[in-house]
Amino acid sequence: MAEARALGPDRAAEAAAREPVRGVLRRVRLPASLGGRTAFWLIVALMAVQAAGLTIHALDRVDLQRFIHAREIAGRAFGAWRTALLAPPDRREQMLADFDLPDGLRVELSDTPSVRPGAPPPPPHVVRLFRLDLLGGGSPRFRPREVRLAAVGAGGFAAALRLPDGEWLNLRVETPPPRPWHSATFLAAFVVMTVAAVLLILWAVARLMRPVRLLAAAADRLGRDVNAPPLPETGPSEVATAARAFNRMAERIRRFVADRTQMLAAIGHDLRTPITRLRLRAEFMEDEEQRRKMLADLDEMEQMISATLAFARDDAAAEPAAPIDLAALCRTVADEAADAHPERAEAIGYEGPERLVLRARPVALKRAVANLVSNALAYGGAARLRLHPPAAGVVRLEVEDDGPGIPEVELEAVFTPFRRLEASRNRETGGTGLGLTIARNIFRAHGGDVVLRNRAGGGLTAVVSLPV
Amino acid sequence: MEPAPHILVVDDDREIRDLLSRFLEKQGMRVTAARDAREARRVWPLGRYNLVVLDLMMPGEPGLDFARWLRAQSDVPIVILTAMGEETDRIVGLELGADDYVAKPFNPRELLARIRAVLRRAGGEGPVREPPAKVIRFAGWTLEPARRRLLNPEGAEVSLTGGEYELLLVLVERPNRVLTRDMLMDLLRGRQAGPFDRAIDVAVSRLRRKLEDDGRNPTLIKTVRGGGYVLAATVERG
Repeated sequence: MAEARALGPDRAAEAAAREPVRGVLRRVRLPASLGGRTAFWLIVALMAVQAAGLTIHALDRVDLQRFIHAREIAGRAFGAWRTALLAPPDRREQMLADFDLPDGLRVELSDTPSVRPGAPPPPPHVVRLFRLDLLGGGSPRFRPREVRLAAVGAGGFAAALRLPDGEWLNLRVETPPPRPWHSATFLAAFVVMTVAAVLLILWAVARLMRPVRLLAAAADRLGRDVNAPPLPETGPSEVATAARAFNRMAERIRRFVADRTQMLAAIGHDLRTPITRLRLRAEFMEDEEQRRKMLADLDEMEQMISATLAFARDDAAAEPAAPIDLAALCRTVADEAADAHPERAEAIGYEGPERLVLRARPVALKRAVANLVSNALAYGGAARLRLHPPAAGVVRLEVEDDGPGIPEVELEAVFTPFRRLEASRNRETGGTGLGLTIARNIFRAHGGDVVLRNRAGGGLTAVVSLPV
Repeated sequence: MEPAPHILVVDDDREIRDLLSRFLEKQGMRVTAARDAREARRVWPLGRYNLVVLDLMMPGEPGLDFARWLRAQSDVPIVILTAMGEETDRIVGLELGADDYVAKPFNPRELLARIRAVLRRAGGEGPVREPPAKVIRFAGWTLEPARRRLLNPEGAEVSLTGGEYELLLVLVERPNRVLTRDMLMDLLRGRQAGPFDRAIDVAVSRLRRKLEDDGRNPTLIKTVRGGGYVLAATVERG
């Protein structure tokens, strides 16, 4: 229990300590693209390698520096000793003062030694570095009467050498701190190397990622047009393999779409004959009422088939674009709707310019507008078309109805194929559930779109935008 | 009384052939039916036909080939039955010289109306019938019957309702001739439901609007006092 309580705060502290680290990691966002990430990690790795290389280089340099320095000090120290030894005692002081001493070496003459007996001796690596073991050797002429050594700091030493006349030559050696980065060209070399390597990495990564970008572009194209041209199966083997796989997939999708289209067309074709027969048979029915109803059913059936076929075949894509008068088209659709629903003729109308020419696929565009109008009539009891002249290169067409509107959350959902609102299923509105889908497909194929909006005062408006 | 028009029906479906024959006979026509292009060729010399109803979707020899052969033999009016959505077949058929088309599955009454309209047009023009034109030009406007489309002087398509198109076609086929409401009704009968004279006035005013003809001071489709209309324009057919 006590242990657990003791652990608790510890863990909390640990977690708290980790938190800022994670926070920082989260704040450092990786680049979004694969190329960016690859370049990022390559550059990080390059930096690590550079740092390691430079450190090794600097350490080597420091060793060498220290060795050269030690040798110089040792040589000069010996020189100083010889001068002191050979100079006449009265001129000794003067000659030593003229002696050119390197950094870190101090020499003085004294009656007393600078090293007291019993002082800790210098460590072995200092002895080795400065060849201190040679002090006691050599020819007897040059050998000091007495040598006292002591450690100074980590890498230095003090030596007291007794001259034959009893005076002491006190040496003090302090190795200067190593200066591994002491080089003018060093920083420049580092910057040039880094910049060159980073540029090389960026170039190589961009080159490496090009096939990936091409593949993404091809996938995107395939999404919009099943018959987009295949990818070139060239380049490095992985890229060629990916391109081949992609092309095979595209081919399978194409075949699948073609099969499905073929199947739907076949169904549509096969249904034509029985519907025609039924229509003819209906003409021989005695009961006028039943005959009328039967023909109405058959009309509905035909409409469903033709809508499904139009959806399956995506006719809009095949039709060539030509200049058409959108105002006349809207008027035609409105008039045809009014002719088909004389009882609602008052609620159908067109408002807008007399002429508005743009490039479009005439049959497809007419179908799209007609679908919006028949939808408005079926669910909203009215269809008022309002065409706005182009503004900023976009033409707006609104189709208003007087219906109850659609819940906001369903405004997009009604564009899904075969999607109908719960409320409409029980009504005698019929329809295929494809009208809006087809309309949107067509407007989008023209580079435009259609959305639905509930009006503040009630009623629904379909808003079409089309580029001029 | 006019003799009953003789219709040759070419369709591969036996039921449709029989039902259509009975339906047209009920409407006072004589009907000969053929199963395919081969049989149609065989019966062709055996009668004098006023009109051929031809299904383009037949096994064996394609309907379009037969239509071409038929056109080479005579200028008998042809109404083609096309599959819905098969725009190309329809356009090729009309450009080959078919007079009209009905998309399958067709409404028998609509087919009957088209047959009557084509017969009337063919009969009204005298013994030597003008072949259907590919393009008709008037006052800068272009009408393409095969595609059922109207191009304005700038070349932009101006869409027409079925009624407007039929009316315009009747008018451009008889330029500078006064057509009374009765004549127009007669020429267009069966095309539209409802009270015809009102429908004709409505169609004329709609058509004027499409043709940018000022309704109060029309220069293209002029109103003739006493109830009639005239297309005041030079018409070129090509």
